[in-house]
Amino acid sequence: MTQAEPHHNTDAHLISDEQGNAVRDRPWIIRTYSGHSSPKASNELYRSNLAKGQTGLSIAFDLPTQCGYDSDDPIARPEIGKVGVPINSLDDMHILFDEIPIEQMNTSMTINGTAMWLLALYVGLARERGVDIADLNGTTQNDLIKEYLARGTYIFPPEQSLRIIAEMYEFCLEEIPAWNASNICSYHLQEAAATPAQELAFALANAISLLDLLKERGQFDDEQFERSVGRISFFVNAGIRFVEEMCKMRAFGELWDEYTKDRFGVKNEKYRRFRYGVQVNSLGLTESQPENNAWRILIETLGVTLSRDARARAVQLPAWNEALSLPRPWDQQWSLRLQQILAYETDLLEYPDIFEGSVVVRSKVDDLKAQAREEIDRILGMGGVIAAIDSGYMKSALVRSMSERMSAINTGEQIVVGLNRWTEGIPSPLVGGEDGGIFKVDESSARDTIASLNATRAARDPERAAAAIAVLQEAARSGASMMEPSIECALARVTTGEWAGALREVFGEYRPATGVDGQKLSLDGERVDALRSRIDLLAQKLGHRPRIVVGKPGLDGHSNGAEVIAVSARHVGFDVIYSGIRLSPDEIVQSAVEEDADVIGASVLSGSHVELTQQMMDKLGEYGAGSRIAVVVGGIIPPDDFDVLFGLGVKRVFTPSDYELIDIMESITEVIEANQDTE
Amino acid sequence: MASLDSIGQGLPKLVHEAQQLDKMAVSRLISLFEDDRLGSAALRSQALGLLDSRPDQTSGTILGLTGTPGSGKSSLLSRITVDLLAAHSSLSIAVLAVDPSSQVSGGALLGDRTRMRYLPSENRLFFRSQASQTDLGGLGPSSFQVCRLLTRLFDCVMIETVGIGQSEADIRHLADRVYLVLQPLGGDEVQFLKAGIIEIPHAFILNKSDEPTALTSYHHLRSSLWLARPFESEDLPIFQTSALTGAGLSELEAEMLGQIQQPGGSGLTTREAYFFDRWVHQEWGRAGGRYLATQLGGSAAFVQQSGGYEAAQACFSSIFG
Ligand code: B12
Ligand SMILES: Nc1nc2c(ncn2[C@@H]2O[C@H](COP(=O)(O)OP(=O)(O)OP(=O)(O)O)[C@@H](O)[C@H]2O)c(=O)[nH]1
Ligand SMILES: [Mg+2]
Repeated sequence: MTQAEPHHNTDAHLISDEQGNAVRDRPWIIRTYSGHSSPKASNELYRSNLAKGQTGLSIAFDLPTQCGYDSDDPIARPEIGKVGVPINSLDDMHILFDEIPIEQMNTSMTINGTAMWLLALYVGLARERGVDIADLNGTTQNDLIKEYLARGTYIFPPEQSLRIIAEMYEFCLEEIPAWNASNICSYHLQEAAATPAQELAFALANAISLLDLLKERGQFDDEQFERSVGRISFFVNAGIRFVEEMCKMRAFGELWDEYTKDRFGVKNEKYRRFRYGVQVNSLGLTESQPENNAWRILIETLGVTLSRDARARAVQLPAWNEALSLPRPWDQQWSLRLQQILAYETDLLEYPDIFEGSVVVRSKVDDLKAQAREEIDRILGMGGVIAAIDSGYMKSALVRSMSERMSAINTGEQIVVGLNRWTEGIPSPLVGGEDGGIFKVDESSARDTIASLNATRAARDPERAAAAIAVLQEAARSGASMMEPSIECALARVTTGEWAGALREVFGEYRPATGVDGQKLSLDGERVDALRSRIDLLAQKLGHRPRIVVGKPGLDGHSNGAEVIAVSARHVGFDVIYSGIRLSPDEIVQSAVEEDADVIGASVLSGSHVELTQQMMDKLGEYGAGSRIAVVVGGIIPPDDFDVLFGLGVKRVFTPSDYELIDIMESITEVIEANQDTE
Repeated sequence: MASLDSIGQGLPKLVHEAQQLDKMAVSRLISLFEDDRLGSAALRSQALGLLDSRPDQTSGTILGLTGTPGSGKSSLLSRITVDLLAAHSSLSIAVLAVDPSSQVSGGALLGDRTRMRYLPSENRLFFRSQASQTDLGGLGPSSFQVCRLLTRLFDCVMIETVGIGQSEADIRHLADRVYLVLQPLGGDEVQFLKAGIIEIPHAFILNKSDEPTALTSYHHLRSSLWLARPFESEDLPIFQTSALTGAGLSELEAEMLGQIQQPGGSGLTTREAYFFDRWVHQEWGRAGGRYLATQLGGSAAFVQQSGGYEAAQACFSSIFG
């Protein structure tokens, strides 16, 4: 062979600094998503996490705060402090950040429907502490498109929601330059079963529509617009198919660079960079053999850290007991250690991108990009994301993906170890402890929260608060920015429910499409046929087709389970009434009464199943429908609560281990059959 | 669902409670009027007898809202009902929303309720979903039956159906007034307006007037009407509404209220013949229809001879079945 050896660069495996010295990359920001019970309890938790080496704060708010209700609102009562920290006013912010130097913090807030309000509170806190707000650093999640699609804490219609987001970008760009006014999320889409191409397309279409709007509003000159493009950051998911996920991240980066250059003419490369944080996939984490989740989390983390060119800037991980309850402090610490080992023990951060030049990776990335572009074109062709939300197009696509995913797990085509394969095993010692591996919220904290809310209301200047609300509503009506008026509301001790209520009056509330219409499972065969015949027979006996109201009581936005159940029920021959998330127990019961339903199937994953079931049962009793309409409940229900629910009169309880949809449908059919015999 | 015997025993009480608009009672009676078990017909005529024995028994007006999928029928109904009830404290409204069923499994997803606004403990508004039991939508086999009940309980019955072809004819026979709900369309799509669908309604609702193409659609619709219904096109109202902003709703509501307040209400008995014929076709196919027409003197005559709708059903079943 006379051919020259390819030039061999012995330094290609090194990262060097400007002086040419080999260096190690700085690790990504290591975060733990947390918050619970009360501002005081959460403050203690944050301070201890910071002491353990965590490098940023990631705040979980409770559902009333996220949906814009005060803690003493009837719909809030069962949810106070359950899945995050309750914040009613600026007084709560002072407690939450007590002894935490906010000017040095990178604070990420998972807040959407009330994002403008929480930013106003944070700014209010800074002003009262004498901190220059230009020094604040962090993120308000504030992506309402994915709320309509997957997460459920929207309040206003899409147009008004996008206006709020735009106003926050316009405020932050000069006032708090390091603040990410929003975070385009594809994370939640994957949690609602989005495929990689859907995740890419929906998130990018969302970001493009937002930039289109910022342009159209004309508040920025060209230079400012370019900087605002640079402020757009992303929050993505990383699933168990980690090679594909790594490719997806590269595709994200490349597509974003292309769209910002070609569609928006951004010249500065820095502003075109795809900046993203990650939470790895939780949808695939199981209740069965929960210890297996530890490995899943590790593998998923690799997908977003291995490739230097597409590495996350911030990572937060779920815990092994994800499908059991909120994580306890130890569970969080275990996941934190995973990140620390990966970042500090391994050699990962010493190398440039280790996939550069891979033909396989290149091809896979191109394939994902092509699929994504096709879908983005479709959405933009419809008129952008607002239109695609309003028509229900994107939501239907996700429900279809979820139905397919569940079907594949049911047939065994998609293997989930410990759930549908290798299910026999030695019981896990992890759930053997006194608490069964389950976190319990301190119930007494809700009382304290309401007491301090009352104290705030009593101590404030009522005229200043009323005037602040009036100015806010005026801005909402006139089209002026609502940001400064919101800050004045914060300083005037207006409460979360009052702020949102004032805007609800002006904008109205929105209920997006449910996406379940016309969907089916990919499940056929003898068992399905047999069940359909059984239901036909039951229909003859009853004089009507059995009817189920699938209900999501309370503020819980986890819709996947309810959607899958609604689709399955129709698939086997029930008439199904499903009206989407966030209904009061009274509304659900009234639906069931008016529809003369045979069964209510309630889905609760927020931890409030006992209170909500109790409310439904009471209401059924008031209508005299207690024996007529049977109730079954599904969701994240800890084993100890089964008997409590049965005691309330619930006929069956289902949890994530009950993944076989036809089993579930048979069981509900049985309940109706039994009820008809006894009546 | 209780056995027919136990319904029979409790019927007077049930009817009495339903007349107070007690939700559970209304709901159970509707189920009786949807019931396809043998023997339920006798209970229905008993219930009708009880209802009609009341001296002040009125007959509510039936308004039909039909139209293309997603045009905003449910969103409109949600606002209209709440507005009308707020403005008129003695008014009562029942909504019957019909959705298509799956031909494969027989099940239906009844999604119209999603758009309704919830009024806690308000008995003057009652919402019921119904499956059409066909793929295409339109009225269900028992929609007529349920209307016979609901017009005896409520001042107004509003029916929502997805309208494609044949089903419009049904709604025209059932409702006192039919509104066709349309949404702004592109130029090409307006073509379909010239086909059968446009000939049925008494009035048009062009919804989503908040959308940019609404005005051109209005002109398209006007000119299509001029072509399709030349003699009446001037008198056919077109309401331009937005269920989102509320624009144009007060005009529509005023019109509907006018209909409701017209004395007389709906004389459903005159429509029994049509729906009896429809029922015969559904249950016994074309053979049954032919038999009814040729051997029994046609639907109207047969219903009258038999002594009413239920009796005619029983009679026909015993002759033909
Ligand atoms: C996916 C997911 C999400 C998605 C939801 C997407 C969507 N549109 O549904 C996203 C990312 C948006 C999300 C957000 C949040 N989540 Co989440 N989420 C999950 C996760 C990972 C999976 C749930 C799921 O969808 N599974 C798939 C479906 C098909 O299964 P399923 O709902 O369990 O239903 C099955 C059975 O339970 C049963 N079933 C369920 N309901 C019913 C009803 C009937 C009638 C019947 C017959 C059967 C039945 O049948 C189904 C089929 O098998 C769980 C943890 C886990 N692995 O279970 C956490 C979890 C439920 N989430 C949790 C939390 C805290 C949140 C947040 C509140 C966090 C926060 N503070 O902001 C937010 C806010 C959401 C909101 N608005 O309420 C907690 C709840 C804690 C608790 N109960 O104590 C969990 C348990 C995670 C954890 N350990 O912390 N989440
Ligand atoms: N912009 C706008 N959107 C509307 C209006 N009315 C309804 N919509 C939206 O149109 C979609 C369909 O509305 P629905 O009220 O469910 O329509 P429908 O005719 O009852 O639909 P089906 O029962 O499925 O045939 C929803 O997303 C509504 O939010 C309106 O006036 N303007
Ligand atoms: Mg509808």
